Amino acid sequence: MSLQSDNNQTICDEHAFDNFFKGYAKSLRNHLYYKFGDLDQAEDIVQEAFIKVWDNCSKIPVGKAKSYLYTVAVNLGTSLMRHNQVKFKYKNYITRRKSDMTNESPEFLLLEKEYMEKIKRAIASLPDRQREVYLLSRIEKKTYREIAEMSNVSIKAIEKLMHKALIKMRKEIGNV
Amino acid sequence: MLEKFKDETFLSRWANDELSPEELMEFKKHPDYDNYIKIIAATDTLLLRDYDVENALSKIKSRSNHLDSSPKITKPIRKLWPYISVAASILLIIGLFIFNNKTIKHTTNYGETKTVVLPDGSEMILNAKSFATYDKDWNNDRIVNLIGEAYFKVRKGSEFSVKTTNGVVTVLGTQFNVESQNEMFEVVCYEGKVSVKTNDNKHILTPGKAFRSIANTLNKKWDENINEPTWIHNSSSFQSVPLKYVLEELEEQYNLTINNKTLDLTIIYTGTFPNDNINVALKTVFSTLDVNYVLSNDGKILDIK
Repeated sequence: MSLQSDNNQTICDEHAFDNFFKGYAKSLRNHLYYKFGDLDQAEDIVQEAFIKVWDNCSKIPVGKAKSYLYTVAVNLGTSLMRHNQVKFKYKNYITRRKSDMTNESPEFLLLEKEYMEKIKRAIASLPDRQREVYLLSRIEKKTYREIAEMSNVSIKAIEKLMHKALIKMRKEIGNV
Repeated sequence: MLEKFKDETFLSRWANDELSPEELMEFKKHPDYDNYIKIIAATDTLLLRDYDVENALSKIKSRSNHLDSSPKITKPIRKLWPYISVAASILLIIGLFIFNNKTIKHTTNYGETKTVVLPDGSEMILNAKSFATYDKDWNNDRIVNLIGEAYFKVRKGSEFSVKTTNGVVTVLGTQFNVESQNEMFEVVCYEGKVSVKTNDNKHILTPGKAFRSIANTLNKKWDENINEPTWIHNSSSFQSVPLKYVLEELEEQYNLTINNKTLDLTIIYTGTFPNDNINVALKTVFSTLDVNYVLSNDGKILDIK
């Protein structure tokens, strides 16, 4: 009797599951990447986690499905991490928005390219929690409140991590 | 020089456009201002490799043995309502943060309390680090939106409601205290009758009764034997609360950052500490737990040993 009395809908229906997948797969995959640093691995974990949700669908009420999914995925990621410590990888994973490449002079573009490399290296050098918050906030456009709710800490704790991340970024990049 | 900032959330507030105009003016004079602008601007152009959701979904289906067969349980009736309820709750939360010019806002900072007379003559005392809003034109519905903690002395009259993200508290005329911090929700009734509605429950409190839920579970009711919340008289008190919330309250009352690696935050704590003397407060909390600590010279950082 672990089901909530007010919510005994499940996602065992294939259509419901499809919608559930389309609603959460991408943001889960991105979050796992920011957390564990390997995008290919993140996509594998997403598969495993959703299959686990499907296998247990009759026991998971709709309202709990998202948190179940995230818990399963983060646990999988954590146990994989324990076996092989990966550094944060960004080659071929992070690119620039096309629209931001303008018709500037070649020297300018080269300078910009160097700067972007520095930015990516600096992101990779951030401590795990700082990087997770920094990228969720800037790339994923999550609010501090949303990030805090995801990881069950106070908004202030998230704001402190973000502040530290920016200071660290500044240090890593040096004077340009 | 490089790391001199007003507080340890300054840059995150800046990145989120939350600085006051004065703070922003000052930051613009900072030697690193341009560098920070550039870092944020560059980061914001970054993009992750594309993700083909349809393709990923079909991969799962080809791997899972049940998915292409018929689903295990089908309940076609009322399938939409969970989505409707999700949409409704999101609207409610957004509603709390959208203000028009008819909305009055009150905010308190670290260690600050504020007494507010509401449009109908009722009184609200906000505790530290709290935020409350209500409509300027208060005709029939008396509604206050609250994040944080406040004590209410309500005039007799029509229904009076305090809305929080954790639940709604409704009364006729009474005195009560509401605390809603993150997932912690606590209501104490001092006079009259109070109704507390959380996502899945409703409780009626009579004088001297209190209710608490943490993350909508761990519901608990108990007797409170005082006539007013202790924080009104500049102290904070706790009755069987996980230590996590005690440390958060210390941080809020004294604008403190607590670095804790060793202490178990689930320990249950009962006790009271003053809100106007940091040394006494720290001694009161930590000596009973037999924990050593070091307070930095500027009184801003507390390291737990």
